[in-house]
Amino acid sequence: MINVEIDGKLVETERGSTVMDAAHKAGVHIPHFCYHKKLSIAANCRMCLVEVEKAPKPLPACATPAADGMKVHTHSEMAVKAQKGVMEFLLINHPLDCPICDQGGECMLQDVAMGYGGTASRYSEEKRIVMHKDIGALISTVEMSRCIQCTRCVRFGQEIAGMMELGMAFRGEHAEIMSFVDSSVDSELSGNMIDLCPVGALTSKPFRYTARNWELSRRKSVSPHDGLGSNLAVQVKNNKVMRVLPVENEAINECWISDKDRFSYEGLNPPERLTKPMLKQDNKWLEVEWPVALEYVAHGLRQIAHNHGAEQIAALATPHSTLEELYLLQKLVRGLGSGNVDFRLRQSDFSLDGKQAGAPWLGMPVADINTRDRLLIVGSFLRKDHPLLAQRVRQAVKSGAQANIVHASDDDLLMPVANKAIVAPGELVNMLAQILKALAAQKQGSAQGVENVTVGSEAAAIARSLASGERAAVLLGNFAQQHPQATQIALLAERIAGLCGAKFGFLGEAANSVGGYLAGAVPFGPANEKQAKQGMNAAQMVASPRKAYLLLNVEPELDMQNPQQAMTAMYAADMVVALSAYKHHATNYADVLLPIAPFTETSGTFVNTEGRVQSFKGAVKPLGEARPAWKVLRVLGNVLDVQGFEYDTSEEVRDAMLSGQNVADKLNNHIEGVALQAVAGGNSGGLQRVADVPIYSADAVVRRAASLQKTRDAATPCVTMRGSELQKLGVQSGDAVRVTQGNASVRLTALADDSLPAGVARVAAGHPATAELGAMFGSITVERA
Amino acid sequence: MEKITNFFKTFLLFELVKGMALTGRYFFARKITVQYPEEKTPQSFRFRGLHAQRRYANGEERCIGCKLCEAICPALAIKIEIAEREDGTRRTTQYDIDLYKCIFCGFCEESCPVDAIVETRMFEYHGEKPGDLYYTKTMLLALGDKYEEQIARDRAADAKYR
Repeated sequence: MINVEIDGKLVETERGSTVMDAAHKAGVHIPHFCYHKKLSIAANCRMCLVEVEKAPKPLPACATPAADGMKVHTHSEMAVKAQKGVMEFLLINHPLDCPICDQGGECMLQDVAMGYGGTASRYSEEKRIVMHKDIGALISTVEMSRCIQCTRCVRFGQEIAGMMELGMAFRGEHAEIMSFVDSSVDSELSGNMIDLCPVGALTSKPFRYTARNWELSRRKSVSPHDGLGSNLAVQVKNNKVMRVLPVENEAINECWISDKDRFSYEGLNPPERLTKPMLKQDNKWLEVEWPVALEYVAHGLRQIAHNHGAEQIAALATPHSTLEELYLLQKLVRGLGSGNVDFRLRQSDFSLDGKQAGAPWLGMPVADINTRDRLLIVGSFLRKDHPLLAQRVRQAVKSGAQANIVHASDDDLLMPVANKAIVAPGELVNMLAQILKALAAQKQGSAQGVENVTVGSEAAAIARSLASGERAAVLLGNFAQQHPQATQIALLAERIAGLCGAKFGFLGEAANSVGGYLAGAVPFGPANEKQAKQGMNAAQMVASPRKAYLLLNVEPELDMQNPQQAMTAMYAADMVVALSAYKHHATNYADVLLPIAPFTETSGTFVNTEGRVQSFKGAVKPLGEARPAWKVLRVLGNVLDVQGFEYDTSEEVRDAMLSGQNVADKLNNHIEGVALQAVAGGNSGGLQRVADVPIYSADAVVRRAASLQKTRDAATPCVTMRGSELQKLGVQSGDAVRVTQGNASVRLTALADDSLPAGVARVAAGHPATAELGAMFGSITVERA
Repeated sequence: MEKITNFFKTFLLFELVKGMALTGRYFFARKITVQYPEEKTPQSFRFRGLHAQRRYANGEERCIGCKLCEAICPALAIKIEIAEREDGTRRTTQYDIDLYKCIFCGFCEESCPVDAIVETRMFEYHGEKPGDLYYTKTMLLALGDKYEEQIARDRAADAKYR
């Protein structure tokens, strides 16, 4: 530690830190533009010039290392003169179009100009003009003349997003920020550049010219999308969500949010928003009042329970539902005498149920990912499924960690990957067994159950990497959790983690993937209620059709592991009650549509993948007659005379569920009572489907976000196969093919990708274009159309 | 002494004479009464009367929807909604002034970066039913078109003091 004096205040700061850091500690503000705590130091805006005693000229505070005994004056005559000079230069080419600039009112240049700018300009020559570029549907660059060349966006791309999509071209007065010729900015974190831009050069395209920032009130919320639970500031005007910004939380999202969190608000009020309860009568939809609709539902459920037995009632919910909703849903279903409730809609292997010591979670705090030195990530479309967790892995790799990947698809993670084993889905278990055997040999551990596998070079390399680390982690992604052999994968992963002393965790698919277990929205009930009524899991519920379905936020054709089966079950059911914010496909098969509020209009709680319980309040009033789902379920419970539904607030529901419990104690990935099966090698022959859920198709809100749907990530899915295998079918890359699974087939475009393993066709799930297909795993037929 | 003066004042009608003297003085003084509406008082070029929205000479509306007038209005009389027009410019889709709320402080005019919202010399307007004095964008633009000459002359006269 060294002592530095800033404006007469003595502060202690770390050796190697900068004058800027010391000033932050001393609580002294130094004006700056290019400096950002999360980005590398560029020192190109020169706004932070300060006077350092014994230095002959002003020095940039952001790039000057603090030295012991240094005396810094940030507001001395010399410093202020230098800062004013810089400000004058910056304003020479800056168009003074603040009145029409969306950044006006929250602009760093505007703020600093108030302090350091002149009242009039001495510059009367022509200002420079930068032609605008089109870099995609999310970021507007119409006013690139406003750019002050701080290069924050460029550094963000290089250092945080992992790909340099914007760069500074040309020199001197001609310097411009631009993307490569005709290419758009496709990073799933690109929206953060808008926040980073200190001026109005990069602004939000969906928000463009819709409101001024001083009109917006800021309400805190939590992201309902991925498992991270990013903290959001929902900005509201006239009871309408105008935009979403990050709230800094170093332990979760740092100061970033993904584009999915940022731009999904556009999907909150689409034209198909459901605002009144609706009943189907003689194949016509009628708008009715709430009591009528609830009575109808209650009557129907009672009838079915009476005539066919309560086990004919099934409830499906998405993991994007809040803790309160999931808790009340399972309580309602169990109160009716059925145990058929599940939120793990895309899972196919449920043999871990009840065999885990607690709710599966990340196995460590999110922030710990940065400190890992060895990572084994199994079956994860990491960048698209967990954009910000991928960013943390990227930072870990940057500080020396080795990332090892076992997956069925070789997506670019935008970071150096130490070893990767890209295998067909059927080979995943075998590959993990190989790694386990190789690791056991190195660590003198038990290779029991995997003695028979032959260790390949990839597995050996991964095992070597894992064995050489001190702080390793083995993480299972969505693909691994949805895999038909998920239990075996988890078992092997836990043993691998055990051998190398690694943390073992599950990357939560959605906002409440952990919360769903805590709420007991699983067939084996809440963890604290051992007597809970047992029932069927999500796969069984659609495999053996039930008479009545309660759907909470679910769009079965997009959210389920096997949409084909799910839709057959829905059409065959006597009664389908869809609680949804939207008039979706359910209008074809449902009997009742109950309008519920999306996350901005309800209070609730999400438990993120690290087990952090985050409650939030509604940012705006529910639209029309829509009501928060917990209220709907609460009243439905009353109408059905189920005991224990006397809650007045969502906080009461949450407290009733979590009272006397320590959430941390409920999280446990340990598996017991499941035996490792003999590892079957070899492919069964034929094509295997590899299904990812495209980033902007993962949940109901984001599917309706107009701007996100225009991005490259939201393009209609293709069938991706090896070039040689396409050739065998007589198909060129770009041709149309017929993809068949089960009793339905769809026409898609074929695309060659030689990084895929042999015998695999990658066809995305969760998208309307592929909704008619069957399970996300299993055999699939591709033929020339 | 005071008692004696008061005694004489009580019957000499001194106050009456004093009052009549004032009346007499004004009786012969120059008359300032204005026979409104036939006659009108002179107005300053800074007179703050009815609002108007101006256009440029080419017919393009000046307002760019920056909302500074809405933000500064102490009576919250202005309501603006904005959107991007087809040509990509920032324009208002709604610009309303509620003259019931307006206190004619002139802040809107002061804050306008493009001299779009101005207060004219016009003060003779009325409303017969509630809502009549709720001026919309089209009404304000029509006023601007009507009084543009006078407005431009007034702005020019005021320019040297700014």
